Amino acid sequence: MTLLRVENLTKRFGGLAAVHHVSFGIDRGEIVSLIGPNGAGKTTIFNLISGVYSPDAGQILLENESLVGRRPFEVCQKGVGRTFQIMQPFPHMTVLENVVVSALFGRVPKISMTQARKEASELCRLVGLGEKQGAFPRNLTVADQKRIEIARALAVRPKLLLLDEVMSGLTPTETVEAIGLVRRIRQSGVTILLIEHVMKVVMGISDRIIVLHHGEKIAEGPAAEVTNDPRVIEAYLGEHIEDLEEPPC
Amino acid sequence: MSRSLSWKKGLGLVALALILISYPKLVDSYFLHLSVATLLAMIMACSWDILARTGQVSVGQAGLFGIGAYTAALLYQKVHLHPILGMLAGALLALMVAIGLGYLTLRLRGIYFSITTIAFAEALSVIWLMTPSITGGAMGVSTPPLFGGNREHAYYLILTLFGLVLLALWLIESSRLNFAFTAIRENEEVANVMGINPTRYKVLAFAISAFFAGFAGGFYSHYNTYIIPYEVFGLGISIACLVMPIFGGLYTILGPIIGTILIKAIEEYLRVTISYGHQIAYGLILVMVVLFMPEGLIGLYKRRILPLWGRGTES
Repeated sequence: MTLLRVENLTKRFGGLAAVHHVSFGIDRGEIVSLIGPNGAGKTTIFNLISGVYSPDAGQILLENESLVGRRPFEVCQKGVGRTFQIMQPFPHMTVLENVVVSALFGRVPKISMTQARKEASELCRLVGLGEKQGAFPRNLTVADQKRIEIARALAVRPKLLLLDEVMSGLTPTETVEAIGLVRRIRQSGVTILLIEHVMKVVMGISDRIIVLHHGEKIAEGPAAEVTNDPRVIEAYLGEHIEDLEEPPC
Repeated sequence: MSRSLSWKKGLGLVALALILISYPKLVDSYFLHLSVATLLAMIMACSWDILARTGQVSVGQAGLFGIGAYTAALLYQKVHLHPILGMLAGALLALMVAIGLGYLTLRLRGIYFSITTIAFAEALSVIWLMTPSITGGAMGVSTPPLFGGNREHAYYLILTLFGLVLLALWLIESSRLNFAFTAIRENEEVANVMGINPTRYKVLAFAISAFFAGFAGGFYSHYNTYIIPYEVFGLGISIACLVMPIFGGLYTILGPIIGTILIKAIEEYLRVTISYGHQIAYGLILVMVVLFMPEGLIGLYKRRILPLWGRGTES
């Protein structure tokens, strides 16, 4: 059953088409990866879905309801949680308070402060920040700051979770932990669309992969199928071919 | 963002309230007048800080102050409305103007909003000067002394209003509004993606801010018995509104209060020693604070004094 349906999505910045006639669908409970070289339009698609940008053309449907023209907070309240590629925690709030914000405002119907604190605290433990709830984000490692991003996105109880490179810049151990976390999130009933550069993560975790290049979708399908696609190899040639050939571990 | 009041703090508050209530019996008329002026300034400082909590810097609080002042004065002059009702009317009108202005301008960010607020106050001043038949123009409007000139009653009225400001601040700090305001201030885009409607909360903050600024304006016109556009819509009031909280410490309840008391004391001292001295002092204080203690006196206390007692620097 389709949760998200993107049809002919187009976004231009000046003369440059950052996203050009992209269509895809995501079924409930799936983990789908969005990959492509730098500048392929991956984050732009996230910004279009979450309402940060409005598309020049095309349609975005969440449970057959259009998200086009909705502002970010409305999209959030419809059930789309997202993280940011560059971590943007609120610097003067503790880890817990950062998560409380989304629990308070992203949920429909609204929940009480006590309830929000309780849920935020549970989420902190879920993502592995149980001990660091009272800390301030600047004192945390990159990995922990990414955990805040994930906890905040989860606090809105999303139907669809958009993860923007939550595993880049992590150590191998942290990456393994993060993969486990993403799987647990999926088991709790959340559908996940993720952008990732680390190919072994993408290969290991995704039900399906969508490949973008110069704003256009050039391939879509299961991991093994996509990585053997000549167009995909061509798109990556000279850029990330080493990543692709790196054996999954 | 802790919300519970310890019993020690509660006891301190009760003691403070008792002192403030018996205060008029303890001091002479001059000090009482000074205290009324200080309380009025505190209300303005706190009202400015409420909006500042959402990251918006208003340089036009005088516009709202003036609306309140003129509404109260003109309603008294034309229909002899009771001064307190006039002040309330001024507060409500300021609130409605703020909602209208807010929806138009609070989509703008940072400096653009600030510029709009300056223009707003200045425009009001010009409109007032150009419509003397309705507004009294440059001649101003005068009203009889508030409560027949009884300063004690005036003191209690402004103290009550100050109490309401503190109550509003406490309610904001202990509710979800605090999270919304802080999140918008720290990163509006992210707050938006987390489900917060930034415009709505900024307009709400502006409306609360305007209500108190308008009420303060209404009080000022009756207490002072005479108002002119240059003064009540003047940049001087708008600047004072932002210097005091910045000096004391932004986004706190105590900061604007301490900042106001100190600045008023300095101002009063300089007024009698050097002419225009207080205006120079405003400039100097603003420059020094921005350069050397961006978090104000409260920040300085937390950063430098508390560690001496072996406590952490985080609030």
